[in-house]
Formats: sequence, C-alpha cells, structure tokens
Amino acid sequence: MQLWMQVLIRSLSLFILIIFLARILGKRNIARVPPYRFIIYHVLAIIAALISVNVIPNLVNGLIAIGVWVIFSIAVDYLSMKSKWFHDLIHGKETVLIKHGKIMEENLQKERLTGEELLRELRYKDAFNLADVEFAVLENTGDINVFLKSDKKPVTPHDLSIKVAPQAEPQTVILDGNILNEPLASLGLNREWLCIQLENMGVSLDNVFLGQVDSSGDLYLDLFDDAIELPQPKVKEMVYANIEKSQANLMTFALETEDKEAKAMYTKNAEKLKELMEKLEPYLLR
Amino acid sequence: MTVVSQVKQTLASLKGVQGTLRLYSTQTRDKETESVFLEALETTEAIIQDLEKRIQVLEFQEPQYKGN
Repeated sequence: MQLWMQVLIRSLSLFILIIFLARILGKRNIARVPPYRFIIYHVLAIIAALISVNVIPNLVNGLIAIGVWVIFSIAVDYLSMKSKWFHDLIHGKETVLIKHGKIMEENLQKERLTGEELLRELRYKDAFNLADVEFAVLENTGDINVFLKSDKKPVTPHDLSIKVAPQAEPQTVILDGNILNEPLASLGLNREWLCIQLENMGVSLDNVFLGQVDSSGDLYLDLFDDAIELPQPKVKEMVYANIEKSQANLMTFALETEDKEAKAMYTKNAEKLKELMEKLEPYLLR
Repeated sequence: MTVVSQVKQTLASLKGVQGTLRLYSTQTRDKETESVFLEALETTEAIIQDLEKRIQVLEFQEPQYKGN
C-alpha cells in the first residue's frame, strides 16, 4: 500500500475513534480539569497524532497505548467516586489561602504561589480589595474561589426582604421556525395553543427564530424580521393596573354615596382590593 | 355619567381582572403562585357579588337609568 493511502485510512479511522473516546471520557470543562486529566488528554492526542501520520508504524501497539490510557482514566474516575481516600490521593485537597480575612502565607508557600498571582486571581473574582475577602480557597483545578465578607456581597431580594415570585426555568418551544413538541408537552400545552398565540400576535411560524414560554405561561418571541415591532406580553402589568383603578373607583364611590350601608360596603371592598394588590405585587410586577 | 354606569364600569373591569387571574392560575407551573392566584379569585368574586347587589339597589332606586 502506498504511504499516502496508509495515512489517509489511519487518519480517518482514528478521527472517528478519538471522537468516540472523547465522549466516553466524559463531560469536563477542558480549562478546569485537575492536572492528571490534562496529561491524559494530551498523551491521548499525541499518540493518536503519531499513529495518524505513521510515526508509530505498528497500529496494534498504538491502539494498545490508547486503550491503556483510556481504561485507566475511567478506572481512576470510578475509584475516586467510590473511595474518598483515593479521591484525595489523585485529586489532592483544596488549599485554604485566606481565612478570616488573613492570608495564610505558609499555604501560599506550599503551593508555590506568589502574592502577585493570588492578587491577580482575586481580581478575576472582582475582589480588588483584599479587605473585602473573608475566605479564599485554591481548588485542585487551580482555580481560586472567593467568599466575600457579608457586607460586600451583592444584594439579593432576601437581603432587602422583598418577596419575589418563584420562577421555574423557561422552556424553548420554537427554534428556527420549528415547533419543539417535547418541551411543549412538558408544559401541558399543545400545538393548537401555540398557533392561537402566534395568531394573536400576528406572526407566522416561519418568521419565528426563537420562542420561549416562561414559568407563568407567557410566550416570548424573537423574529427573523427584526423590523417588526412585536408587543411583548404586558398582561400582568395590565391586570395590576386594573385592580389599582378599581380600588380607586371604589374609594370614590365610598366618598360620594350618602347611603351608610353602601359606604361601608365600598370601604370594605376597597380595603380588600388594597390587600390583594399587596399580595399580588410580587407575582404580577416582579 | 351616572353613578350606576360608573359602578357598572368598575364591575366590568373587575370581571376582566378575574378572567385574566383565572387564566394565569391555570397556566402557571408553580404551585405557590397558583394558590395565590386562586385566593385572589375568591376575593375578586366576593367584591363582584357586592357590586352586583349594589347595582340592583341603585337600579331599583333610579329606574330611569336602568340599562345604562
């Protein structure tokens, strides 16, 4: 067989094999793997490349090498799942770099990290001021994670004691002009519902690039034709405004009427609506 | 605009609110939200009934405005 034919066939079959092996090796963020995994990926890549361009002429030897690296990699994964001791042996333990706002210099030295490197990593986490950091840890992937002092953390609705409505994840029901049946069914909706919604908004299905249903059941659309201004759902705000208006009307009636009984009825109901507004505000406006 | 027609308008807009709340109570996926909307439905229902009663009284007192 000619050399170029050999390279062609080897490359093609290795291409398929390597894609398949990458799937077996699992979903990992390549930029955030422990060092041993980084080495495994590179060894596999190099062996495959060498076989592919015929530097390793014996195909069997090459495949054995790939097999060993893949099998041991998976074995290490399983063992570290089963045994905490093994996990710590392979992955190492994370190192605390800052505790109670104080840098642990001996741990820094142990990891051979310089002060500059630590500060740079802290800046990545938006902690420019060391005084803001309560706790920082060096993960075994090499990332430094930062726990800010409680008065320097971003404000959440909980901190402001504001009640917000719980929200589930939105579901994508239209993609590239195609209706996705599975997410639609998981919402308990069907194609007819979607068609009616599209008709109400006055758009055709082929003009929709993306359609999402949020947890309250409202449909949000993005169209191919960006010139079309689409009214985005504002129904909840409208309901709230209507309740507010009715409440104001009832107050007016209470002031205008001379009938005592009617006055009492209007006032009572106006108060009820006021309470209702407070209760519904997180669900309708936030 | 007479008092009766003003009350009727308010009644109509409350009924509209009720309809939308009912829609949201069925299409929301969160149990807690659903119960809040259902509770709101009960409140609006009670107010609507009170207003309807009041409209009957008003129409009885001022039959000349009936149907307005």
